[in-house]
Amino acid sequence: MRRPARVLTQKDRSIIGALAQDIPLVGRPFKALASKLGIEEQMLLERIRDYKREGLLRKYSAALNHRKIGFRHNAMALWNMPEKDITEAGGIMASFREVSHCYARKKAPGWKYNLYSMIHAKSRRECLRVVRAISRRTRCEDVKILFSTKEYKKTAVVY
Amino acid sequence: MNHPSLKKNKPYRRHLLRDGKLTAIDKRILERLQQDIYFVERPWKPMARELDISEVFLLQRLCRMKENGVIRRISATFNPARLGFASTLAAAKVAPEIVDQVAERLNGYHEITHNYRRDSEYNLWFTLVARNRRVISRVINRIRQYRDINSLIVLPAIRLFKIDAKFPIK
Repeated sequence: MRRPARVLTQKDRSIIGALAQDIPLVGRPFKALASKLGIEEQMLLERIRDYKREGLLRKYSAALNHRKIGFRHNAMALWNMPEKDITEAGGIMASFREVSHCYARKKAPGWKYNLYSMIHAKSRRECLRVVRAISRRTRCEDVKILFSTKEYKKTAVVY
Repeated sequence: MNHPSLKKNKPYRRHLLRDGKLTAIDKRILERLQQDIYFVERPWKPMARELDISEVFLLQRLCRMKENGVIRRISATFNPARLGFASTLAAAKVAPEIVDQVAERLNGYHEITHNYRRDSEYNLWFTLVARNRRVISRVINRIRQYRDINSLIVLPAIRLFKIDAKFPIK
Protein backbone atom coordinates (compact mmCIF):
# COMPACT_ATOMS: atom_id res chain seq x y z
CA MET A 1 0.00 0.00 0.00
CA ARG A 2 2.04 2.86 -1.25
CA ARG A 3 0.49 6.27 -1.20
CA PRO A 4 1.78 8.87 -3.63
CA ALA A 5 4.10 11.54 -2.32
CA ARG A 6 2.08 14.22 -0.58
CA VAL A 7 2.08 17.60 -2.20
CA LEU A 8 3.89 19.72 0.30
CA THR A 9 3.28 23.39 0.74
CA GLN A 10 6.09 25.75 1.57
CA LYS A 11 4.71 25.83 5.11
CA ASP A 12 4.88 22.03 5.36
CA ARG A 13 8.48 22.15 4.20
CA SER A 14 9.49 24.63 6.86
CA ILE A 15 7.63 22.68 9.54
CA ILE A 16 9.28 19.42 8.48
CA GLY A 17 12.64 21.15 8.38
CA ALA A 18 12.15 22.39 11.93
CA LEU A 19 10.93 19.03 13.27
CA ALA A 20 13.98 17.29 11.84
CA GLN A 21 16.14 19.48 14.08
CA ASP A 22 16.71 18.85 17.75
CA ILE A 23 13.64 19.53 19.89
CA PRO A 24 14.22 22.19 22.59
CA LEU A 25 14.41 20.63 26.04
CA VAL A 26 11.80 22.85 27.66
CA GLY A 27 8.34 22.20 29.12
CA ARG A 28 6.48 23.22 25.97
CA PRO A 29 8.88 22.52 23.12
CA PHE A 30 6.22 22.67 20.41
CA LYS A 31 5.27 26.13 21.53
CA ALA A 32 8.88 27.19 21.13
CA LEU A 33 9.11 25.56 17.69
CA ALA A 34 5.76 27.02 16.61
CA SER A 35 6.72 30.55 17.53
CA LYS A 36 9.90 30.22 15.47
CA LEU A 37 7.77 29.05 12.54
CA GLY A 38 5.27 31.83 13.10
CA ILE A 39 2.33 29.48 13.68
CA GLU A 40 0.15 28.43 16.60
CA GLU A 41 1.25 25.62 18.88
CA GLN A 42 -2.05 23.78 18.26
CA MET A 43 -1.61 24.01 14.53
CA LEU A 44 1.89 22.57 14.78
CA LEU A 45 0.64 19.68 16.92
CA GLU A 46 -2.13 18.98 14.42
CA ARG A 47 0.35 18.90 11.57
CA ILE A 48 2.62 16.51 13.47
CA ARG A 49 -0.31 14.15 14.09
CA ASP A 50 -1.30 14.40 10.41
CA TYR A 51 2.23 13.61 9.24
CA LYS A 52 2.34 10.64 11.58
CA ARG A 53 -1.03 9.32 10.47
CA GLU A 54 -0.11 9.70 6.81
CA GLY A 55 3.15 7.85 7.30
CA LEU A 56 5.24 10.86 6.38
CA LEU A 57 6.66 11.06 9.86
CA ARG A 58 8.36 7.80 10.60
CA LYS A 59 9.38 8.35 14.17
CA TYR A 60 9.79 11.23 16.60
CA SER A 61 12.41 9.85 18.90
CA ALA A 62 15.96 10.05 20.18
CA ALA A 63 18.97 9.30 18.02
CA LEU A 64 21.42 7.72 20.42
CA ASN A 65 25.16 7.52 20.18
CA HIS A 66 25.51 3.75 19.67
CA ARG A 67 29.04 3.72 20.90
CA LYS A 68 28.20 5.41 24.17
CA ILE A 69 25.51 2.88 24.99
CA GLY A 70 27.84 -0.02 24.33
CA PHE A 71 26.97 -0.86 20.72
CA ARG A 72 30.47 -0.26 19.49
CA HIS A 73 30.40 -2.41 16.44
CA ASN A 74 28.40 -2.24 13.28
CA ALA A 75 28.63 -4.51 10.32
CA MET A 76 27.12 -4.09 6.93
CA ALA A 77 26.31 -7.52 5.55
CA LEU A 78 26.06 -7.65 1.76
CA TRP A 79 24.24 -10.62 0.32
CA ASN A 80 24.16 -12.01 -3.16
CA MET A 81 20.65 -13.39 -2.95
CA PRO A 82 18.85 -15.17 -5.77
CA GLU A 83 16.12 -12.85 -7.03
CA LYS A 84 13.36 -15.32 -6.15
CA ASP A 85 14.46 -15.51 -2.49
CA ILE A 86 14.78 -11.79 -1.84
CA THR A 87 11.37 -11.21 -0.31
CA GLU A 88 11.60 -14.10 2.12
CA ALA A 89 15.22 -13.36 3.01
CA GLY A 90 14.48 -9.66 3.57
CA GLY A 91 11.70 -10.63 5.95
CA ILE A 92 13.98 -12.99 7.85
CA MET A 93 16.69 -10.34 8.21
CA ALA A 94 14.15 -7.75 9.35
CA SER A 95 13.04 -10.07 12.14
CA PHE A 96 16.45 -9.90 13.84
CA ARG A 97 16.55 -7.32 16.60
CA GLU A 98 20.23 -6.63 15.82
CA VAL A 99 19.35 -5.65 12.24
CA SER A 100 18.48 -1.96 12.14
CA HIS A 101 18.21 -1.49 8.37
CA CYS A 102 17.55 -3.90 5.57
CA TYR A 103 17.23 -2.97 1.90
CA ALA A 104 17.19 -4.69 -1.47
CA ARG A 105 19.42 -2.63 -3.76
CA LYS A 106 20.26 -2.47 -7.42
CA LYS A 107 23.35 -4.37 -8.47
CA ALA A 108 26.13 -2.25 -9.95
CA PRO A 109 28.53 -3.18 -12.75
CA GLY A 110 31.00 -5.64 -11.28
CA TRP A 111 29.05 -5.71 -8.03
CA LYS A 112 26.88 -8.74 -7.37
CA TYR A 113 25.33 -7.90 -3.99
CA ASN A 114 21.64 -7.07 -3.92
CA LEU A 115 20.51 -7.35 -0.29
CA TYR A 116 21.97 -5.26 2.54
CA SER A 117 21.55 -5.54 6.28
CA MET A 118 23.04 -3.32 8.98
CA ILE A 119 23.90 -5.15 12.17
CA HIS A 120 24.65 -3.46 15.50
CA ALA A 121 26.18 -5.31 18.41
CA LYS A 122 28.52 -4.98 21.34
CA SER A 123 31.32 -6.97 19.72
CA ARG A 124 32.49 -8.09 16.31
CA ARG A 125 31.92 -11.66 17.37
CA GLU A 126 28.31 -10.93 18.12
CA CYS A 127 27.91 -9.27 14.69
CA LEU A 128 29.37 -12.35 13.06
CA ARG A 129 27.11 -14.63 15.07
CA VAL A 130 24.08 -12.72 13.71
CA VAL A 131 25.40 -13.00 10.14
CA ARG A 132 25.84 -16.74 10.58
CA ALA A 133 22.33 -17.10 11.97
CA ILE A 134 20.90 -15.15 9.03
CA SER A 135 22.99 -17.19 6.63
CA ARG A 136 21.61 -20.44 8.05
CA ARG A 137 18.02 -19.31 7.94
CA THR A 138 18.19 -17.83 4.44
CA ARG A 139 20.39 -20.68 3.16
CA CYS A 140 22.62 -18.07 1.56
CA GLU A 141 26.37 -18.23 2.02
CA ASP A 142 27.42 -15.64 -0.50
CA VAL A 143 27.87 -12.79 1.94
CA LYS A 144 30.46 -10.08 2.43
CA ILE A 145 30.82 -8.44 5.85
CA LEU A 146 32.09 -4.89 6.17
CA PHE A 147 32.80 -3.56 9.62
CA SER A 148 32.90 0.17 10.03
CA THR A 149 36.24 1.38 11.29
CA LYS A 150 35.45 5.07 11.43
CA GLU A 151 32.36 7.23 11.46
CA TYR A 152 32.96 10.42 9.49
CA LYS A 153 29.43 11.72 9.49
CA LYS A 154 26.00 10.90 10.85
CA THR A 155 23.51 13.72 10.57
CA ALA A 156 19.84 14.35 10.03
CA VAL A 157 18.53 14.97 6.53
CA VAL A 158 18.29 18.62 5.56
CA TYR A 159 14.73 18.88 4.26
CA MET B 1 17.23 18.79 45.99
CA ASN B 2 13.60 18.69 46.91
CA HIS B 3 12.15 16.52 44.26
CA PRO B 4 9.01 14.40 44.27
CA SER B 5 10.69 11.44 42.64
CA LEU B 6 13.51 11.59 45.15
CA LYS B 7 11.17 11.54 48.07
CA LYS B 8 9.13 8.77 46.59
CA ASN B 9 11.97 6.64 45.46
CA LYS B 10 15.19 7.03 47.36
CA PRO B 11 17.56 5.07 45.08
CA TYR B 12 17.35 7.81 42.46
CA ARG B 13 19.29 10.14 44.72
CA ARG B 14 22.38 8.03 44.28
CA HIS B 15 22.07 8.26 40.50
CA LEU B 16 22.10 12.02 40.56
CA LEU B 17 25.62 11.92 41.91
CA ARG B 18 27.09 9.84 39.14
CA ASP B 19 27.97 12.15 36.32
CA GLY B 20 29.30 10.47 33.24
CA LYS B 21 27.73 7.06 33.53
CA LEU B 22 24.21 6.00 32.71
CA THR B 23 22.07 5.54 35.76
CA ALA B 24 19.27 3.02 36.10
CA ILE B 25 16.68 5.70 35.42
CA ASP B 26 18.67 7.03 32.44
CA LYS B 27 18.51 3.60 30.89
CA ARG B 28 14.75 3.48 31.29
CA ILE B 29 14.50 6.96 29.79
CA LEU B 30 16.61 5.91 26.80
CA GLU B 31 14.52 2.79 26.23
CA ARG B 32 11.39 4.93 26.18
CA LEU B 33 12.91 7.63 24.00
CA GLN B 34 13.48 5.21 21.15
CA GLN B 35 9.74 5.33 20.55
CA ASP B 36 7.60 8.32 19.63
CA ILE B 37 7.37 11.16 22.08
CA TYR B 38 3.86 12.47 22.77
CA PHE B 39 2.39 15.00 20.39
CA VAL B 40 0.85 17.15 23.11
CA GLU B 41 1.59 20.56 24.58
CA ARG B 42 3.73 19.17 27.38
CA PRO B 43 5.23 16.02 25.85
CA TRP B 44 7.59 15.27 28.76
CA LYS B 45 4.82 15.15 31.32
CA PRO B 46 3.05 11.95 30.23
CA MET B 47 6.42 10.37 29.50
CA ALA B 48 7.67 11.23 32.99
CA ARG B 49 4.49 9.79 34.47
CA GLU B 50 5.10 6.53 32.62
CA LEU B 51 8.60 6.40 34.02
CA ASP B 52 7.36 7.30 37.48
CA ILE B 53 9.50 10.41 37.74
CA SER B 54 8.68 14.11 37.58
CA GLU B 55 8.72 16.19 34.44
CA VAL B 56 11.49 18.42 35.82
CA PHE B 57 13.65 15.44 36.66
CA LEU B 58 13.12 13.94 33.20
CA LEU B 59 14.15 17.23 31.59
CA GLN B 60 17.24 17.39 33.78
CA ARG B 61 18.32 13.90 32.75
CA LEU B 62 17.64 14.66 29.09
CA CYS B 63 19.81 17.76 29.28
CA ARG B 64 22.55 15.78 30.99
CA MET B 65 22.49 13.03 28.38
CA LYS B 66 22.52 15.60 25.61
CA GLU B 67 25.54 17.24 27.16
CA ASN B 68 27.53 14.05 27.47
CA GLY B 69 26.57 12.99 23.97
CA VAL B 70 24.61 9.82 24.75
CA ILE B 71 21.64 11.45 23.04
CA ARG B 72 22.64 12.91 19.69
CA ARG B 73 19.30 14.59 19.20
CA ILE B 74 15.58 14.14 19.72
CA SER B 75 13.91 14.84 16.42
CA ALA B 76 11.45 13.67 13.82
CA THR B 77 12.60 11.36 11.04
CA PHE B 78 10.57 11.44 7.90
CA ASN B 79 10.08 8.97 5.12
CA PRO B 80 12.14 10.66 2.40
CA ALA B 81 10.36 8.82 -0.42
CA ARG B 82 6.96 9.99 0.83
CA LEU B 83 8.25 13.54 0.81
CA GLY B 84 9.28 13.08 -2.80
CA PHE B 85 12.94 12.87 -1.81
CA ALA B 86 15.44 10.56 -3.43
CA SER B 87 18.23 8.68 -1.68
CA THR B 88 20.97 6.21 -2.37
CA LEU B 89 23.91 4.37 -0.90
CA ALA B 90 27.26 4.76 -2.62
CA ALA B 91 30.74 3.36 -2.09
CA ALA B 92 34.13 4.64 -3.19
CA LYS B 93 37.57 3.10 -3.54
CA VAL B 94 40.17 5.46 -2.11
CA ALA B 95 43.87 5.01 -1.36
CA PRO B 96 44.09 4.23 2.38
CA GLU B 97 46.55 7.07 3.10
CA ILE B 98 44.11 9.74 1.94
CA VAL B 99 40.78 8.25 2.92
CA ASP B 100 40.39 10.71 5.83
CA GLN B 101 40.85 13.74 3.57
CA VAL B 102 38.48 12.45 0.94
CA ALA B 103 35.90 11.69 3.63
CA GLU B 104 36.20 15.24 4.94
CA ARG B 105 35.60 16.65 1.47
CA LEU B 106 32.54 14.45 1.00
CA ASN B 107 31.19 15.60 4.37
CA GLY B 108 30.98 19.07 2.89
CA TYR B 109 27.88 18.00 0.97
CA HIS B 110 24.83 18.36 3.17
CA GLU B 111 23.16 15.75 0.94
CA ILE B 112 25.55 13.21 2.41
CA THR B 113 23.97 12.18 5.70
CA HIS B 114 26.09 9.17 6.71
CA ASN B 115 29.68 8.46 5.86
CA TYR B 116 31.72 5.53 7.15
CA ARG B 117 35.09 4.02 6.56
CA ARG B 118 34.82 0.27 6.12
CA ASP B 119 37.57 -2.26 5.76
CA SER B 120 37.39 -3.48 2.18
CA GLU B 121 38.58 -2.39 -1.26
CA TYR B 122 35.60 -0.05 -1.35
CA ASN B 123 36.55 1.68 1.85
CA LEU B 124 34.26 4.72 1.97
CA TRP B 125 30.52 4.12 2.27
CA PHE B 126 28.06 6.97 2.33
CA THR B 127 24.36 7.73 1.89
CA LEU B 128 22.87 10.66 0.03
CA VAL B 129 19.43 12.15 0.50
CA ALA B 130 18.18 15.03 -1.63
CA ARG B 131 15.09 16.78 -2.88
CA ASN B 132 15.04 14.76 -6.09
CA ARG B 133 17.02 12.35 -8.29
CA ARG B 134 18.57 15.17 -10.26
CA VAL B 135 20.32 16.60 -7.23
CA ILE B 136 21.61 13.13 -6.32
CA SER B 137 22.99 12.65 -9.84
CA ARG B 138 24.60 16.07 -9.76
CA VAL B 139 26.41 15.34 -6.50
CA ILE B 140 27.41 11.86 -7.66
CA ASN B 141 28.78 13.25 -10.92
CA ARG B 142 30.79 15.82 -9.05
CA ILE B 143 32.20 13.14 -6.76
CA ARG B 144 33.05 10.95 -9.74
CA GLN B 145 35.41 13.68 -10.89
CA TYR B 146 37.54 13.49 -7.75
CA ARG B 147 40.89 12.27 -8.91
CA ASP B 148 41.39 10.60 -5.53
CA ILE B 149 38.47 8.27 -6.08
CA ASN B 150 39.45 5.23 -8.10
CA SER B 151 36.03 3.74 -8.45
CA LEU B 152 32.52 4.63 -7.34
CA ILE B 153 29.45 2.41 -7.18
CA VAL B 154 25.94 3.74 -6.70
CA LEU B 155 23.46 1.40 -5.03
CA PRO B 156 19.95 2.83 -4.85
CA ALA B 157 17.40 0.90 -2.81
CA ILE B 158 14.68 -0.99 -4.64
CA ARG B 159 12.83 -2.17 -1.60
CA LEU B 160 12.84 -1.41 2.10
CA PHE B 161 12.48 -4.33 4.49
CA LYS B 162 13.33 -2.60 7.73
CA ILE B 163 14.37 0.70 9.15
CA ASP B 164 14.27 0.80 12.91
CA ALA B 165 17.37 1.31 14.94
CA LYS B 166 16.40 0.24 18.44
CA PHE B 167 18.88 -0.71 21.09
CA PRO B 168 18.24 -2.62 24.26
CA ILE B 169 19.84 -0.53 26.98
CA LYS B 170 21.56 -2.61 29.63
